[in-house]
Amino acid sequence: MSMSAGELSAILPLLIPALGACLLPLAALDKDQETVKWVRGAMFFMALFCLAGGFFYVTRLWATGAQPSYGALHMDRIGQYAGIFVMVAAALAVLQLWDHLHQEGWVKGETLSLLLFSVVGMILFASAGNLILLFLGLELLSVPLYALTATVRLRARAFEGGMKYFLTGAVAASCFLMGSVLLYGVTSSLDLAVIGRALGAPRPDPLALAGAALVLMGFLFKISAVPFHQWTPDVYEAAPHPISGFMSVATKGVAVLAFMRVLGAGVPAPGSLRIQSALAVVAMATLILGNLAALAQTNIKRMLAYSSISHAGYILLGLVAGTPAAYSGVLFYLLAYLAMNMGAFGILTALGLVGDRTTFDQVKGLGWKRPDLAIAVTLCMLSLAGIPPLAGFYGKYMIFKELILQGHVSMAVVGVLASLVSVYYYLRLPVALFLEKPSEKAEREAAERPAIKAPLAGAALLVCGVLVVAMGLFPGTVYKVFALRVVENAFHFVR
Amino acid sequence: MVSMNVVLFISFLLFSVGVAGVLIRRNALVILMCVELMLNAANLNLVAFARHSGTVGGQAFALLVMGLAAAEVAIGLALVVALYRKKDTIQVDQIDLLKG
Repeated sequence: MSMSAGELSAILPLLIPALGACLLPLAALDKDQETVKWVRGAMFFMALFCLAGGFFYVTRLWATGAQPSYGALHMDRIGQYAGIFVMVAAALAVLQLWDHLHQEGWVKGETLSLLLFSVVGMILFASAGNLILLFLGLELLSVPLYALTATVRLRARAFEGGMKYFLTGAVAASCFLMGSVLLYGVTSSLDLAVIGRALGAPRPDPLALAGAALVLMGFLFKISAVPFHQWTPDVYEAAPHPISGFMSVATKGVAVLAFMRVLGAGVPAPGSLRIQSALAVVAMATLILGNLAALAQTNIKRMLAYSSISHAGYILLGLVAGTPAAYSGVLFYLLAYLAMNMGAFGILTALGLVGDRTTFDQVKGLGWKRPDLAIAVTLCMLSLAGIPPLAGFYGKYMIFKELILQGHVSMAVVGVLASLVSVYYYLRLPVALFLEKPSEKAEREAAERPAIKAPLAGAALLVCGVLVVAMGLFPGTVYKVFALRVVENAFHFVR
Repeated sequence: MVSMNVVLFISFLLFSVGVAGVLIRRNALVILMCVELMLNAANLNLVAFARHSGTVGGQAFALLVMGLAAAEVAIGLALVVALYRKKDTIQVDQIDLLKG
């Protein structure tokens, strides 16, 4: 069996990280890896090398405009966007993991290997053109994440988070599978385009609608939208900080992309109206509940988890609007979200807060010790809150504008009110960092602990801060180069 | 030749037992088994649909699902065993360190 160059270029973005993932466990064969620094360094270098290789390969595809496919695997603009998005998120996570795992004293090759497998699954999930690949991608991205959540095996909390994620995730995956099977049963086809057409028919089969509802549930679970959000805070709290950041950004991102592909596969008015009204209800509930619950949190990670739930709400609002402009707004929003949320989780590693020391009390006054990091994370927080000259503002602006143009004014109003509420809890971190004084006990404890050095995590955080500002200063360029091209080339809107 | 509706009904029953078990039972292992029931209900449907429509895609999908289910169980059991070593229980309502 031979393979043409085009087919090879379609699967290379998956093969490169997969190769790294397969080779990395070799480093774990060494029993004394804890003591051998060069083995550890080589592992991280190799992981970064694979991610960089995949990234450059995908950006080259992006620049040439080629959209190769291999069977039902479509490395089109959506797949390439997912590749770039996930690999940047993973690279930032690897940089932070180096410092975080050393702080925890638990540096293992498996962690990186699992992370890379998850990356492969995510790209596959977003570039799948039929149900089999879609489910394979979903499992390949989730199963390593269950293990990654529990990766620091020193604490019972880590296992508890991993367990909760596993049980809820497995149930969601089974429902997703059942939904896909029903869709297959009705249409006798595994092809997403055929299924999209069948759902868009004037009177779709009730069995097909039940299947679509179950599949939708699987997507909403991955996006962590209400009412499938309960796992989010517990899992993000239990997982290592960089992994929480990676999960919140990359999983949500690819789930949205895959969902867009399923929706954009040619679903005309009647079928999509039903999905739209379901999405509208979910988006409203997600926005309101996510933002209100975030107000009450004392733990930074839990606050960020609820914040990521509320951001799922903004993204869903973009899907509710459903126009090409709204879709490209969502794609821009995802890029902004990548930078600002990786930065927000990055501060925890950069300041060396391990274990359960992630409350707002623990960071009081730390901003003056590392002003550069504190300013970078403040920028990320302001961007998450949607303050004007930053990246997050333009993402929200594009989505709300399309929503109003489509006549959903009340939803846009709720969205704006929700982001006003969010300013309060996002500003709590900068306030704690700069304006509040640590208690004497905390100061004494901090003096006893060795000074925290986290150069790579700090660098990753600064990169995120710069990206947030850059995307805020040049939103038009980023929008044209990335978001608009995906919508122009990959979706065939039937309206 | 068993009719299609019978297979669909059995599969629906299996899936419902699985969902009910997930919602009612509090033992992590039993929940895991119930998830397997849900997956196998889907598998049964897949094979039936494949035979009904005369396409082989469904049968290939069913084989793949078996493999994936095994991978999932491997991770799940590992987590259960590790949690049992730390906490001496696998009752999910007694595992409540994370709250808020």
